[in-house]
Amino acid sequence: MTDPIKIYIPKETSACSVGSDFIAEKINLLTQDHKHISIVRNGSWGAFWLEPFVEIEINGKRTGSSYLNKDISQLSSIEEFLDDFNKSKPFNILETEFIKQQTRLVFSRIGLHDPLDLDEYFNSGGYKGLEKSFEIGQQKTIDEIKKSGLNGRGGAAFPTAIKMQTVFDQEAKTKYVACNADEGDGGTFSDRLIMECDPYSLIEGMTIAAYGVGASHGYIYLRSEYPLAKYFLTEAIQILKSKNLLGKDILGKKFTFDIELRIGAGSYVCGEETAMMESIEGKRGLVRSKPPLPAIKGLFNKPTLINNVITLASLSAILMQGKDIFSQFGSGKSVGTMPFQLCGNIKQGGLIEVPFGITLNEMIYDFGAGTLNDKPVHAVQIGGPLGIYLPVHLFNTPLTVESLIDLKGSLGHGGVIVFDDSTNMTLQAKFAMDFCQKESCGKCTPCRIGSVRGVELIDKIYNGTAVKEDRILLEELCETMETTSLCAMGGMTPNPVRSIMKYFPNEMTN
Amino acid sequence: MSIKQIIDPFIDIKGGLIPALHAVQKEFGFLNKENIKTLAKSFNISDAEVIDVITYYDDFKLEKQGQYVIKVCQAEACQSLGCRDLWDTLKSHFQLEHNETSNDYSVTLKEVFCLGNCALSPSVMINKDVIGRANSEKILTYLSRRQNNFKND
Repeated sequence: MTDPIKIYIPKETSACSVGSDFIAEKINLLTQDHKHISIVRNGSWGAFWLEPFVEIEINGKRTGSSYLNKDISQLSSIEEFLDDFNKSKPFNILETEFIKQQTRLVFSRIGLHDPLDLDEYFNSGGYKGLEKSFEIGQQKTIDEIKKSGLNGRGGAAFPTAIKMQTVFDQEAKTKYVACNADEGDGGTFSDRLIMECDPYSLIEGMTIAAYGVGASHGYIYLRSEYPLAKYFLTEAIQILKSKNLLGKDILGKKFTFDIELRIGAGSYVCGEETAMMESIEGKRGLVRSKPPLPAIKGLFNKPTLINNVITLASLSAILMQGKDIFSQFGSGKSVGTMPFQLCGNIKQGGLIEVPFGITLNEMIYDFGAGTLNDKPVHAVQIGGPLGIYLPVHLFNTPLTVESLIDLKGSLGHGGVIVFDDSTNMTLQAKFAMDFCQKESCGKCTPCRIGSVRGVELIDKIYNGTAVKEDRILLEELCETMETTSLCAMGGMTPNPVRSIMKYFPNEMTN
Repeated sequence: MSIKQIIDPFIDIKGGLIPALHAVQKEFGFLNKENIKTLAKSFNISDAEVIDVITYYDDFKLEKQGQYVIKVCQAEACQSLGCRDLWDTLKSHFQLEHNETSNDYSVTLKEVFCLGNCALSPSVMINKDVIGRANSEKILTYLSRRQNNFKND
């Protein structure tokens, strides 16, 4: 009797972007007549430099090897493949420093299994969170989240429980939960990873949130650039409906909740919550002025709880394991773990879930192993296109929501992009304005026109035609955009520009 | 499927216009005048109101697109690994600018901002496939393989 063998080949965007589908196709062909071998399309572990990372499980022992730039098209038998695999010094990914140094609470399941395998989800504590929530009731569910200290992970870091309480307190027949999955910030992919590698945890989290606030209908607003996430969410919703985990009388409780998946159409601003609501309502994604708050008058004028993917997925973990799993880490607005996304010019990029307070040096060198091209690191942009650029001498700053505010920036959605010393910082400043010019919804003047003027001014600096007054003008423009724009798009676009003027003054010269 | 059949499931759902636009575009490749009129009638709004929504969003097209829509990421993570040069190379290879389609409708070239594959930059998306650690050779090999498969089908 031959021992059963499981071959894990990730089905996740980054893994597929470097050939994991081709490997799966080939191995599928080679294993046609081998009944003891099965293929599992698992999620990714988020250690992207290893992708395509193929793992083999035999006698309960699971080891893997990177197939990056390996051509297996010429292999003629599965024995040949297994032989080659064993010679490649396969290792257990859980024993690598990259994973060992992390505290994966929200991302505890990614990479392990087929993300749509509901049995595996249950075996790893799935729906224990919702059961707990049903057991303690609505108000205590919100209280538990409050005590956990969870703040929104979308970018604004607003206390999640306060939003929930506000929606809960509204007397309305119809309330909504809307999941913001329009992850448009350059340098971020944590939402995508949850949706592709553990979609049930997001849906369970949404169901907990809906129960907590008393909503019966939910929307997931997913950006169109994520077709694989669309596939996983569509399948997951379908499967959960067939198992009575969505729809009427969930888990035998008199509670009804449905989820509708809405696909965006290529607009960055639709990641701003009020623009997202306009888009779900079928209109142009123009920003609304606040108040009224969405929690009071949101989607279709009804009280609406809007949260980011990671925030909602965190609810499953918090309710399942208790508030302490979060509250034991950090303080203030920086409680729990934060999924940082290390990327750009870096050797070992990927998803790093750790308690707040990690420094850039730790991230770049302990996790990332330095730049991909071995050139010296010159700058890091943190927090997406509206985030600040930091110079090397600040790389020992512990990263928290508060420390980034002190530096006149924002941790945002946790993207960390590494740049080497060949980077032209003036061009990076220009890009910030250019991006705003291209993506502005156009509703308010400082954002719509300010960004155009910003590009012109920085162009002058780049071309060497700027005069002294142009710099003063640029600073005034930044101040105007910051103080008078309707939303964060225009209001925070000056952040990267100002950080470059402040920390890289000699590199912005005419 | 007729356009009416495509639109029908979306008429009575709240905010159904955008999903309907996606569905119509998926079937016809782009949104032509006739389809816009049908959409307007079905949703009981004016043609202008439909066009108002279409023109806000990058994804919705008023003209026929190429068989391969090549989206080249120009966001920050990809910038850190030379996506600006890649963009220039592809532009001159295809002789196309942003949002232009080749005369034979084989290729449409677009610059986009973030495909969520930022740890394996630079990234390019061809139709639904993302290509990581992209360079021009990889893109051209991908296209020629696809075209060969297409001929063999």
